Amino acid sequence: MAGMSQASLPPVSGMREQLAAIATVRLQIFRNSLRTMRGRAEMVSWIFMGLWFLMAGLGGAFGLGIGAWAILSHGHPEWFAVLLWPIFVFWIFFPLLATAFSETFDSANLLRFPLRYSSFFAVNIIYGSLDVATMLGVLWLTGTAVGAAIAAPALSPWTCLVLAVFGSVIILLVRTLFSWIERWLAQRRTREIMGVLFFLTIVAFQLIGPVVRHLNRNHFQLPDYLSQAVAIQRFLPAGLAASSITSAIQGEWAGAVAALFALACYGGVFLLLLHRRLLAQYAGENLGEAVSRERQVVKKEEARSGWFLPGLPGQLTALMEKEVRYLSRSGPMLFTLVMPIVFMLILHNTGRPNRVGGGIGQNANLAFPIGAGYTLLLLTNIIYNSLGADGVGVQFLFVAPVRIRTVLLAKNLIHASVLGLEMLLVWAAAAIAYQPPNPAIVAITVSAILFGAPLDFCAGNLLSLYAAKKYDFSAFGRQRASGITVLASLGAQIVIIGVTAIVWLTARAMGSLWFAVAIFAPLIAVVFFAYRVVLGRVDEIALRRRESLIAVLAKSG
Amino acid sequence: MDAPAISIENLTRRFGEFVAVDNVNLQVTPGQFFGFLGPNGAGKSTTIKMLTGLLAATSGRVRILGLDLDAHAIEVKRQIGVVPEGMALFGRLTGPEYLNFAGRMYGLDRDTAAKRSAELLEFMQLDREPKKLVTDYSHGMQKKLALAAAVIHGPKILFLDEPFEGVDAIASGTLKTMLQRMIARGATIFLTSHVLEIVERLCSHVAIIHQGKLVAHGSLEELRSGVQAKAGIGDDSVAPPERLTLEDIFLRIVGGSRTDNQELSWLG
Repeated sequence: MAGMSQASLPPVSGMREQLAAIATVRLQIFRNSLRTMRGRAEMVSWIFMGLWFLMAGLGGAFGLGIGAWAILSHGHPEWFAVLLWPIFVFWIFFPLLATAFSETFDSANLLRFPLRYSSFFAVNIIYGSLDVATMLGVLWLTGTAVGAAIAAPALSPWTCLVLAVFGSVIILLVRTLFSWIERWLAQRRTREIMGVLFFLTIVAFQLIGPVVRHLNRNHFQLPDYLSQAVAIQRFLPAGLAASSITSAIQGEWAGAVAALFALACYGGVFLLLLHRRLLAQYAGENLGEAVSRERQVVKKEEARSGWFLPGLPGQLTALMEKEVRYLSRSGPMLFTLVMPIVFMLILHNTGRPNRVGGGIGQNANLAFPIGAGYTLLLLTNIIYNSLGADGVGVQFLFVAPVRIRTVLLAKNLIHASVLGLEMLLVWAAAAIAYQPPNPAIVAITVSAILFGAPLDFCAGNLLSLYAAKKYDFSAFGRQRASGITVLASLGAQIVIIGVTAIVWLTARAMGSLWFAVAIFAPLIAVVFFAYRVVLGRVDEIALRRRESLIAVLAKSG
Repeated sequence: MDAPAISIENLTRRFGEFVAVDNVNLQVTPGQFFGFLGPNGAGKSTTIKMLTGLLAATSGRVRILGLDLDAHAIEVKRQIGVVPEGMALFGRLTGPEYLNFAGRMYGLDRDTAAKRSAELLEFMQLDREPKKLVTDYSHGMQKKLALAAAVIHGPKILFLDEPFEGVDAIASGTLKTMLQRMIARGATIFLTSHVLEIVERLCSHVAIIHQGKLVAHGSLEELRSGVQAKAGIGDDSVAPPERLTLEDIFLRIVGGSRTDNQELSWLG
């Protein structure tokens, strides 16, 4: 080594070579994953779901295309924003609401190589955008662009340019949101600040209703209120994109260019914010909660005993305590768990409050079941991969004198408790935002959850053993659920929703919603029996699957 | 006569066509400090995984303290402690929480688990940062914590897979002290390690596995004598018996392929 000099080292590769190398590695990893049965099943699952999403994308694109054509050819270009806002909202909220479908490429592993910052940045943008929301968003924008081009062929280059900038701004915004939320959720203090801000937001949302009602009493007409909202939206990305296209159609090129420039400015701001975050990551930022050496206070603590839950064995209690500690230390998981309340607030503000018999979100009798169902849907993320967060700790579960059925029972009990707590919060939110939901609706919803949750636990326990995937509770959106798990979870939810709908319709046909509770009772008994049967079999399955489970969960990186 | 602490009969493990462990027979008597050695890929970790229930054997039988591992898995696991290759830690717990958890999983009551956790943390010098998450521990701290979790219930046999790998001299000293105390109390220790100096200093008995087959086992003296006898008196290349280190014995038995003649000219 003595003769080695700086001059003999190869130069750092260019961005294109580095991106090509990363793409090659990803392709090789994908090809190698197909060697196993599970890898092939994963691919089939994602193809199946990809087709489903493709249909949704093409359908949406067709609809938006028709819409764009109709709006422009009938001389109402000012309505163009109506098409862009849903795309904008979906593209941003879908990755946050359904993190199982979103995956930000975790590029931290690449930092040991002489990776240029430009490559690091590009990798984060490109691979972070390979998700369902971007695929649908791009298809829908393309549909809109085609519709607009048919209606106004001469303006199609401008429309395409505006929509391309609009899409880019959304991609930058989503990546910025993900990276900053992860940063804020990584440490206890910022988590606490986020928590306070969240509750302040809830209070603020609650004040909107009374304020609007007060203004209504003072002859503040809703159209004026709406026109104010329309005026405000013009300064936001979707409004600016629409405004640029509208102005171009009306021949006001100065306005069109100004709106596009403002839109690009939004992009610039998001780019800058994302750059700050990624630059910190590139510099090797540690988001752990370790206290710096200077701030360490050496303080001996009294030996603290673990939890005591009357009537429950020590092992089960210890496992439940561990599960709660894991959940409470996961900012991203806590974020996911507050989403049902956020979802309800979004619904709440889509319509006039206290209106009975309105559309979705306009009364408590709809909001409560929707909120409860959404809570169960969100929990499927952890129920269907309940060993995923244990990582290398799964080895401990196999060397300790504990049965896997006890481990899964503890997890199920905690997840069921979280579900119960969330439902209480959703009920409270519905009661505060609207009015207390009808008792019959509450009883049906609780029955449906008592039917659906054990069913999810049955399927979840099996999939946790058959299709486990390592999951880092501290990372936000950097990991995607197993394709098999997502597909099976979707199937289970369709069954739960289907059965609930049939029971509800039957009860309505019989003249009283309370009949639904009676119909659900035997179904609940059946799923609880099925749950017991599955739980009785998990030890045998775990023993058979232990090698692949450990291989998947205990792998490094 | 006491049952062997560990009894392995015709233990075999195949991965497809590849035979990782090939018909291994071995007995470890209670109270032995047993070193299980072998070059990379020889089958050490595969064997230790099969002995601790992390991996199923293709064929053969494992008895721990006279109990069949397959038939009495829970009873066996209650009496052993394990530090596997990946250390099996729960990263999002703090050190005290993890030890408390481990103690209760091994059947200790809350108060005993808490008391022993505190004692172990102090012994291992891990009590300075009780709020620190395990994931933020250094590698050496994690090794010490994994060992503490493996001994919290006072196991009769301790299985350690590479306990000294990546550990500094101070942490290594702490680990050795604890292991020697366990041996003095009558426990049996079965460890794999590449650090042959440490194995030589700690272990009373050694087995060497090579390409899945057990190629030597016995006390260090027995292995020395065996190598000396095989080499023949008068062979200048062999050091006198009293000077043969475990590394000499290991290299003699396993052999090593020299790469001195291969040239990597671009390395400068």
